[in-house]
Amino acid sequence: MKRLAIVCSLLILGFAAVFAAPPVEISLAYPVAVDAPITAMLKGWAQDYMTQNPGVKVTLVFSGGYPDVKTAVQTAIQGGAKAPTLAVMLATDVYDLVNAKYVDSLDALVAQAPGGQAFVKDFLPAYMGNSTYKGKLWSLPFQRSAVVLYYNADLFAAAKLQPPKSWDEMGRDAQALTVDGGKTRWGIEIPTENPYWTFQPLAIGAGKNVYTDDVTVNFNAPEVIDAVQFYLDLSQKYKATPAGVQSSWGSSTQNFAAGKTAMIIHTTGSLAGILKSAQFKVGVMAVPGRKAGSLASVTGGGNLYLTAGHSPEEQKAAFAFAQFLLDPARVAQFSQATGYIPNRLSAGKTAAFKAWLDKVPQAADAVAALAAAQPELATQNLNGVKTIFNKYLQSAFNGSQSPKEAMDAAQKESDKALDDYR
Amino acid sequence: MRRHRVLPYLLVAPTLCFVAVFTLLPLGEVLVGSLFKQKLNIPKYQHPVFNGLGTFADLFGDPDFLQVLANTGIYVLVLIPLLLIVALGLAFLVEAKLKGLAFFRLSIFHPTVLPMVSAATVWMFFLTPGYGLWNQALRILGYTGPQNWVGNPSLALFSLILVAFWKNVGFLMLFFLAGLQGMDRSVVEAARLDGAAGLRMVTRVILPLIRRQTLFVTTIAFISAFQTVDHLFVLTQGGPSGRSTLLLYYLWEVRFDRMDIGRADAVTVIMIAVLLAFTISNFLMSERNEK
Repeated sequence: MKRLAIVCSLLILGFAAVFAAPPVEISLAYPVAVDAPITAMLKGWAQDYMTQNPGVKVTLVFSGGYPDVKTAVQTAIQGGAKAPTLAVMLATDVYDLVNAKYVDSLDALVAQAPGGQAFVKDFLPAYMGNSTYKGKLWSLPFQRSAVVLYYNADLFAAAKLQPPKSWDEMGRDAQALTVDGGKTRWGIEIPTENPYWTFQPLAIGAGKNVYTDDVTVNFNAPEVIDAVQFYLDLSQKYKATPAGVQSSWGSSTQNFAAGKTAMIIHTTGSLAGILKSAQFKVGVMAVPGRKAGSLASVTGGGNLYLTAGHSPEEQKAAFAFAQFLLDPARVAQFSQATGYIPNRLSAGKTAAFKAWLDKVPQAADAVAALAAAQPELATQNLNGVKTIFNKYLQSAFNGSQSPKEAMDAAQKESDKALDDYR
Repeated sequence: MRRHRVLPYLLVAPTLCFVAVFTLLPLGEVLVGSLFKQKLNIPKYQHPVFNGLGTFADLFGDPDFLQVLANTGIYVLVLIPLLLIVALGLAFLVEAKLKGLAFFRLSIFHPTVLPMVSAATVWMFFLTPGYGLWNQALRILGYTGPQNWVGNPSLALFSLILVAFWKNVGFLMLFFLAGLQGMDRSVVEAARLDGAAGLRMVTRVILPLIRRQTLFVTTIAFISAFQTVDHLFVLTQGGPSGRSTLLLYYLWEVRFDRMDIGRADAVTVIMIAVLLAFTISNFLMSERNEK
């Protein structure tokens, strides 16, 4: 009898082992090309999540930059394989991703998840602009940034200058802080190898964003042309920045931190890196606009998307993991480590984050800059339109065309590229 | 007898299957795809619509694509002769009996072992405007001209050529060196006794002797010039204003950035045609020389 009981128990255990539900496997593709210890942080969080949820296995896939993640998702889906369940891709890619059916809507998952609606409502409205399309929710703000002006406050103080309040002041301050025709120090640097994003605050500061909606661009609006002219003025009139297109996304932050440039226009995502290496008081503000007292900024960064082709269990597990990652405490921790602006209202209210803001006032300035921010260029056929806009912006910056000629051509070509969507 | 007719085919069957599945089938798909209009990010072109040769007509009427072709032409026509001449020159130098020869060989060869992305990153530092090493070096020579290499429309493509040259010249030198070391010395000595020397010796005696290596090196240099794209991602992203976009980068952009499958297929067909034309002419030339 005893032997029978032992055999039965072993059999039951054996069956349990064989027929126990296998863990639900999900993965997250993340563009790792950011100067912060994000990899270790994400790995730690994934491990914590798996410890708390033994039925779920999370794999992290790190791959280069945003284009690499998007390419990986596309090749997997087109090739009939499973794409990483969650992927951090550009917030502005929403139209292309939805049109190509590479991503699934989150609406049903939000409705099912406990506290789903409240979770979604907690995101900063400025960052939700790129999340909805055709009346559905497609992504959650993940690592969001904005373009700001970094200035060397010590140099400004030494020259008895106040932070600029207008284009003219920005130009004159930059001119005053340029030393030896830029050989020792430039007044200002604006990276323009992929210029549309760093240019947008200038256009917004002139009074018009470069686009109105997903099929309408304003490339040849007088305000945008004036903004192109202002970029040229910085080198030609004020002699405060190197002439032409500047491939300086990486080097401008280093130049700024080394005191070789007094101001840079860059992403809030570089804040942590700059504060770490700069030996002077760093000032952060929205970019001054044309009119005195006006400010401008533009949002940017990546959202968390649910890719297409996953089972309901995988989708549910992926959404739960997304909620876990976007928990206010983790969002606050992520912001502290990177300088990315907290994308949830509740994250900004955590005690740890408030304490950090007291310690690093520049982070509060970066958050404040968001008040002046308008959305990043996001249209249908986005990369087609971006390529055209970048091409003509660079053509104007390099003096191959006048600002008006270049922007008229950009408008004409972009209108053609958007014809199929109207 | 009958068995012998079948056996050779059976023996090549695995290779044939491999070539059919991984080369011929995709080639066929691309050829067919190039005749259709299909853009994944445009709802009405989600599914292929027959377009005949329309995509090719669009491509050859598009100034941006013509710019890409011109860039690729300049890149290949400048890079390959430069690589061949310098690699051969270096092979002569490192073949000579010099002190510290191993050091020179290593110095010339070391960029080869770097991945292209690392090489491009190193050069991004060299080409930094203002204090970059490249500008500093030129300044010693009294140069005060353009400083911003990858942002300058006239210099961006040249910057890419420079990086590819630095990266590949040591590798190609190795093949020439093997050729020089393996050639029949008695022919060279006989020529020397007959009074051949200098350039005449190189062009009339040595080059014909290392003909096979030269053909091989030309072929791999040509194909690699079309295949390398990593340095574009790091250094110029095809800019400024498309002045350094090469064919393969353009293909990636069209396929993955703009999701335009029809156009990507057409660009692939054009690229394959160019490579095939080169390979066939190279093959025919080598066959003729062998006869």
